[in-house]
Amino acid sequence: MKSSFLTRWKGLGAFAATETRVQFHEYLSIASSILVQVIFIFFMWLLAPRSLLPFALVGSTVFSAFVIGERILDEAAYIRIDHKLNELYHASPMSPESYFLGMGLGVLAAYMPPMVFLVGMANWVHPFTVSAALVLLGALIGVWAFAASLGYALSTLFKDMRAIWPYATLIFNLFGVLPPVFYPLYIFPAALQPVALVMPPSAAAALVMHTLNLLSLSTGEVVLAALSIIVETLAIFLFTVYWARRFSRER
Amino acid sequence: MAPPLNGRFFRAFTLIGWRWISRNPAVAIAPVLLPFMFLYFLRLITPASYFPGEVVGAMLFVSQNVGNWVLGDSATWRIQLALQDMFVASPLGKVGYLAGIAFSNLMAAMPALVVLAVVLAIIYPVSLVGWLILIGTILVLWLLFSAIGITISSRIKSRREIWPVGNFAFTALGMLSPLYYPLSTLPPALQVVAHFLPGTYAALLAKGGMGLITLGQGDLLLDGFLLIASAIIGILLSLQFYRWRVT
Repeated sequence: MKSSFLTRWKGLGAFAATETRVQFHEYLSIASSILVQVIFIFFMWLLAPRSLLPFALVGSTVFSAFVIGERILDEAAYIRIDHKLNELYHASPMSPESYFLGMGLGVLAAYMPPMVFLVGMANWVHPFTVSAALVLLGALIGVWAFAASLGYALSTLFKDMRAIWPYATLIFNLFGVLPPVFYPLYIFPAALQPVALVMPPSAAAALVMHTLNLLSLSTGEVVLAALSIIVETLAIFLFTVYWARRFSRER
Repeated sequence: MAPPLNGRFFRAFTLIGWRWISRNPAVAIAPVLLPFMFLYFLRLITPASYFPGEVVGAMLFVSQNVGNWVLGDSATWRIQLALQDMFVASPLGKVGYLAGIAFSNLMAAMPALVVLAVVLAIIYPVSLVGWLILIGTILVLWLLFSAIGITISSRIKSRREIWPVGNFAFTALGMLSPLYYPLSTLPPALQVVAHFLPGTYAALLAKGGMGLITLGQGDLLLDGFLLIASAIIGILLSLQFYRWRVT
């Protein structure tokens, strides 16, 4: 008998592959997913001292992982509201958590090329050490898992596709742009810096910038940022798995 | 009996714009957020003296971005709700439909424009002539980009295309025009490209009219003329390429 853990993830690979193929048809969406990041890099290149450019490049990779959550929110709502396909998926042997995580992995795979492009640009401007590359990888995985869980959980709250855009814009830009993701932590008001370090996108950006010697963090700040990413990501991921199961039963 | 074409449809479309805001409060905030995000970021990385110009740029960006929402509404009504057939069958006409959608989205953009105008009034003394030039520029940009938005929308085949196409057409073009930054900061090659975009003339006219950049009266008149000429050409082309009846 298969363990319950394995049964729980039944259909994950197949649905992730399906979602990847679906997303790859949306090449315009994939290309435009880094538009805001390119705009910030452009502003930084055009108007700020050159020393700030690596911050914008690192921030743009972290932000790219974060806004995948917005795509998942949109995709999950689109499948449910417009296509009413989620009922079919939930009636299938695929588990609700596989549905949520498969969608997250599929969207991640499709939106990887622009992210890799930004990582390449960041590495070109400020070469990565092995340790910095590993921290970046870990940070991107953490931010993606956080954003994917948040996006899926939020998608279940919407009944109208037209209402999604303003709320999604608000949530993902408030957490992804206002805190120091594209710019150094030291520019952010000192009193609010601990708050920035408990928000996964800015915590991840600060950790990567610190490993690249762009930014100097104290040991306490490094621990705070790393723990925030791990604890918050785990918490929201587990909640979303629970919510996905509950939501599928209620449909 | 003659159909009632005395402009009453504006009231209906105004109500549509207002209802969208009143039912989704975030709608009133989100349009402010994007220009404010750029403003916030630019405030951090640029000298404080640039800020009034950046606020004016944000107002012009909002006006230009109305085209993006017009695109979204028009495409959603046609593709998802299949409402356009009803409008085609009605006595409204395509110009009325364009004006109506543009007007309803101007309503949705109004909170953003008012907030930005208040910020501008606080940080920079704008003369009456400056306000008039700014309002005129906003109206011309709004009309032009609404026309472009509705024309692009008529070529869109799937709801999924709306967001990326709108982003490329309006956000990217909005950034290439020197709305948020002085034209002189662009490298020479990009300055040439920027001169092909109506937003550039809008930015030069509005900022020059307020004294935020130094322009002679002749330059101001020329920028105003080029903005209006590009708007007229753009609107005529849009009406030409807009697919009203799908047979």
